[in-house]
Amino acid sequence: MEPVIELRHLEKSFGDNRVLVDINMTVQRGEVISVIGSSGSGKSTMLRCINLLETPSAGEILFHGENIQSPATSLTAYRAKVGMVFQQFNLFGNMTVLANCVKPQMLVLKRSRQEATAVAMEYLRKVGMDAYINARPAQLSGGQKQRVAIARALSMDPEVMLFDEPTSALDPETVDDVLSVMRELAGTGMTMIVVTHEMAFARDVSTRVIFMDRGVIAEEGTPEEIFGAPKEERTREFLSRYLRS
Amino acid sequence: MNTFQWIGKLLSEYWLSFLRGMGSTLLMAIVGTAVGFLIGLLIAMVRTIPVGPGDTPFRRGLLRGVNAVLAAYVEIIRGTPMMVQALIIHYGLFVPMKVPSMLSAIIIISFNTGAYMAEIVRGGIISVDKGQFEGAHAIGMSHRQTMTHVILPQAIRNIMPSIGNEFVVNIKDSSVLSVIAITELMFVSKQAGGAYAKFVPAYLICAFIYFVLTFTVTRILRYLEKKMDGNASYTICGSQSDPAAEIHVKREV
Repeated sequence: MEPVIELRHLEKSFGDNRVLVDINMTVQRGEVISVIGSSGSGKSTMLRCINLLETPSAGEILFHGENIQSPATSLTAYRAKVGMVFQQFNLFGNMTVLANCVKPQMLVLKRSRQEATAVAMEYLRKVGMDAYINARPAQLSGGQKQRVAIARALSMDPEVMLFDEPTSALDPETVDDVLSVMRELAGTGMTMIVVTHEMAFARDVSTRVIFMDRGVIAEEGTPEEIFGAPKEERTREFLSRYLRS
Repeated sequence: MNTFQWIGKLLSEYWLSFLRGMGSTLLMAIVGTAVGFLIGLLIAMVRTIPVGPGDTPFRRGLLRGVNAVLAAYVEIIRGTPMMVQALIIHYGLFVPMKVPSMLSAIIIISFNTGAYMAEIVRGGIISVDKGQFEGAHAIGMSHRQTMTHVILPQAIRNIMPSIGNEFVVNIKDSSVLSVIAITELMFVSKQAGGAYAKFVPAYLICAFIYFVLTFTVTRILRYLEKKMDGNASYTICGSQSDPAAEIHVKREV
């Protein structure tokens, strides 16, 4: 086992509001971790801290044992290795589908246009969006956009992929397209941290499930443990609310 | 002679002057708007540089100082009439330095436009969805790369109507620069009208030319906006039965 990302005593406050309280977590290579919990429990904030879209108030984030906040670490190089997929896609509106996947490789990884295009096409094919390379994001459906966003992140050859509620803004019909792409990705051994409300995905695909409640990791375990026999009362309560609706 | 006959007479005698005046007006408006836009772009980019807790005190102090100077420039220029600025800068600074008045006029109009453009561009940058910044940062792009490749292209597209507005304003407001003896459209109209004490026909010609200029400019800018929006349709490459097939999709607007 080789830890890729470690969170140590991570804290985040917005003013007086303590959103994350003493979060400790180790992510091993190849793990697929689902983070579940009700809105406002801090799951998204934790994910956004991992690639420093939010600056932690205290604690450390280690990437292969190195503190990513130390001045010696290049933030842009680190971020290139940690892919992120957003709820709102965040595809670049001024670029075509292909350019969305090619430009970042050229700018950040200094790849040639030719090489970047080859890589981008490979991943666009994998997510089934290679036919749409000339379209602009505004011309696509939510599910199509999200698949492009996944291809864009994968084109950077990341070591870890972060998903921030990737299906929450989608029409029910397109949710499955995105989930099946993520399932396939998990099958390739990619290290993934997925903040999600898709309990079926968490149960069937992930190797570990983390339940967050009011800024702390309330319970964690294998999907069988969390969904089969949750130890904590609040986990049970959350799951029963979810499975009923 | 009635007004129409006077217009004909003035045009036949002064057409070259009117043409020259129109040329000067256009030159000032085009260069002034373009340079003003670049000034505005630069200022807005500097003013939107994020200051993080990781920055050194020196960098923070420097940015704060530069920001204060830029804010003062924007406020002072926007807060005083261009005619007054022209009189002060031209006679107080450029005449003693023997700067030609056309150059002097272009510099004044550029700096004036720059102050307005700075706010317009800043508004354009703010108008771009925060997610675009996050998407770019999360993928490893630097602030500069994010700005030049993602944010500014969208911000500039969004502010095209305002840029067009500034252009039109410059075509018309350059008329106040007749106070520093620029032979622009307003100046030559006054001359032509003064020759026969027939000002109304002269200013009718003047108004007509201004209108043609502004109308043409707005049409051209509208065309540019359309261009920047890209194709309204896109082509799907390949299909399940025939990989070489191309399907053309029209955007629903």
